[in-house]
Amino acid sequence: MDTYILSKKILIVDDEPELLELVKSILEEAGFSAIVTANTMQSAIETCSKSFPDLAILDVMLPDGDGFTLYNQIQSINSIPIIFLTAKDASDSKLTGLGLGADDYIVKPFLPQELVLRVSAVLRRCYKEEPSVLKLASCEIDFDRAEVIKGSEIIPLTAKEHMLLKTLADNSGKIVTLDNLCEALWGENPYGYENSLNAHVRRVREKIELNPSKPESLITIKGLGYRLSTRN
Amino acid sequence: MKSYLKYISKHIILVIFLIVALIVLNIFVFIATFNGVVSKDYGDFSPKNMLSIVSENCSKASINDVGIQQLSANNIWAAFIDKEGKSTWTVNVPSDFPKKFSLNDVAIFSKGYLLDYPVFIETNKDGMIILGYPKDSYFKLTNNFFSTMALKKLPMFLLITLLVDCLFIFMIYYRSKKKIKRNIEPIMNGIESLSKGESTSVDVSGDLKDIADGINQASYIITHQNVARANWIAGVSHDIRTPLSIILGYSDRIKTAAIDDSHIRNYSEIIESNCIQIKHLVSDLNLVSMLEYDMQPLQIEEVRLSKLVRSFVADTLNRGLAEQYALNFEISNDAEPLSIECDSRLINRALSNLVNNCVKHNPDGCNIDITLSTQDEYIKLSVYDDGVGLSEEQRKELEKPHYMNALDDRLDLRHGLGTILVKQIVQAHHGRIETPVTEKGFKIELCFLLNS
Repeated sequence: MDTYILSKKILIVDDEPELLELVKSILEEAGFSAIVTANTMQSAIETCSKSFPDLAILDVMLPDGDGFTLYNQIQSINSIPIIFLTAKDASDSKLTGLGLGADDYIVKPFLPQELVLRVSAVLRRCYKEEPSVLKLASCEIDFDRAEVIKGSEIIPLTAKEHMLLKTLADNSGKIVTLDNLCEALWGENPYGYENSLNAHVRRVREKIELNPSKPESLITIKGLGYRLSTRN
Repeated sequence: MKSYLKYISKHIILVIFLIVALIVLNIFVFIATFNGVVSKDYGDFSPKNMLSIVSENCSKASINDVGIQQLSANNIWAAFIDKEGKSTWTVNVPSDFPKKFSLNDVAIFSKGYLLDYPVFIETNKDGMIILGYPKDSYFKLTNNFFSTMALKKLPMFLLITLLVDCLFIFMIYYRSKKKIKRNIEPIMNGIESLSKGESTSVDVSGDLKDIADGINQASYIITHQNVARANWIAGVSHDIRTPLSIILGYSDRIKTAAIDDSHIRNYSEIIESNCIQIKHLVSDLNLVSMLEYDMQPLQIEEVRLSKLVRSFVADTLNRGLAEQYALNFEISNDAEPLSIECDSRLINRALSNLVNNCVKHNPDGCNIDITLSTQDEYIKLSVYDDGVGLSEEQRKELEKPHYMNALDDRLDLRHGLGTILVKQIVQAHHGRIETPVTEKGFKIELCFLLNS
């Protein structure tokens, strides 16, 4: 994992000392070094205003208030990404309804790998490393400039192509469904845009692949969607 | 359920039958009571008979002994009056019996009484025979007359009265039945709801209000208990989650720690896999109880199932499936654009439970096929694995109620909670589940009605 991500300061708030210790040790094991903890809402607010964490993991139930109230108070001090840690069921409507602007939530009980993945995903999404250049098998993509650097050649990307690559890059290594790609490119209810999507993919491949008919980076998952393999 | 209407009809008919029976009984009692009187007072010694006996045994001038004997035996006096009003002979007449009668006298007594004795007369060419019966033996109507018109109308009057009465009784029957039905029906519906364990509210005023209140109270108690039970399960599953997180976390620590002892590593893997089982159980249990007691409001929205299936398959593949499993999917062209009103999270959960089942039952690996197709007015989501499948007995077990719904003592896990959750999710969407027999493996189909 990037040292850039690992250097971020994480605040963990939970009233259960054993769980607090566990989460802390899981994150330390994964390489995060700057971790602060709090076991009440009061101490969490104090920690926030003193040490300015980059991300907070909040338990929904705290002895002196609930996580949602704490969320609002933390946001008023410093707008940072929040992950809720909850013992409520994943299907509990309150969670999604009252999710506010929370960046993610993890339902207890959780696997340590899951926690690390979620935390690093949120950090990566919220704190982009500058400059944002993505390395692929046969080129590099500079998202800020919307350019593909292929050897000595610099090829510009159109807005849709940029959006397509960005969506795939945000989920790099994972399958992104046709539906999600169409939604990213054309907004809500984009049924029937599959052919246009294919056309864009073809043009993107011409720009980023060495041999567009044998793609190495932008892989088709038949019937399902596409996956971008990166070299980062 | 309409049996109570039959019950009411039966009772009303019984009442009508009883009324008729009572009338018949009355007739019998009447006959029994008056039988003696009729045979005596209207029999051999009735005025009509006695008059003919006397007239056979007398002339204008005298009466023979047979006549006298018959009269004396029955305590009757007699006299003969000729055309001038003079009495020619008498038998046992009272002492103040007149010797001569004027036209007026005859006109008065001929229809009534003579000296307070009820008298009966017979006229012949010579005069008239008068029979005097004992006082109080007969009652004579002295001034009776009927209009001919009235008498002519009598049969029609009786017939119409009878018909009107019958009609009236029928109307009473019909109205009572309707009224009872109106009052009883909400109560019966309420009881029916209660018998299904559903909450109900019965609004009935009047005499049956007490019963309605009782049903409402029972309904309140059932609802209250259901809520309490669902809350209890939610509470327990909530409280179990934190300790389970800690166990899972630390067993992972042991697994990844630098320990040489492979046994310990193995133990920690067993702890972890069991914890994951409890994790699934806890979340299934909570959702099952929420759905069971209608505590989980569905978040219904228009969802294109093809999109949902693709997203589910992509998520499953992204999360990583053990290499012995192959996940395939197929969406038919006609199913591709179709959408249904559903709670996508729940459908996703059902799919995930079904795929988990395939994995759980086939530890040696299998192909898992998810298919989305249409069948008549249904859209069909099927999950098939070519693994071990179900034996005939296991298939039967699947039909039995789950232990959460069963009342027998077998509280063993017949089939996973995951399956009952799938059933409930499909039920909540008014769909149906089919498990067609396949040559190999196991297939389950979830069918949802398409929006018309």
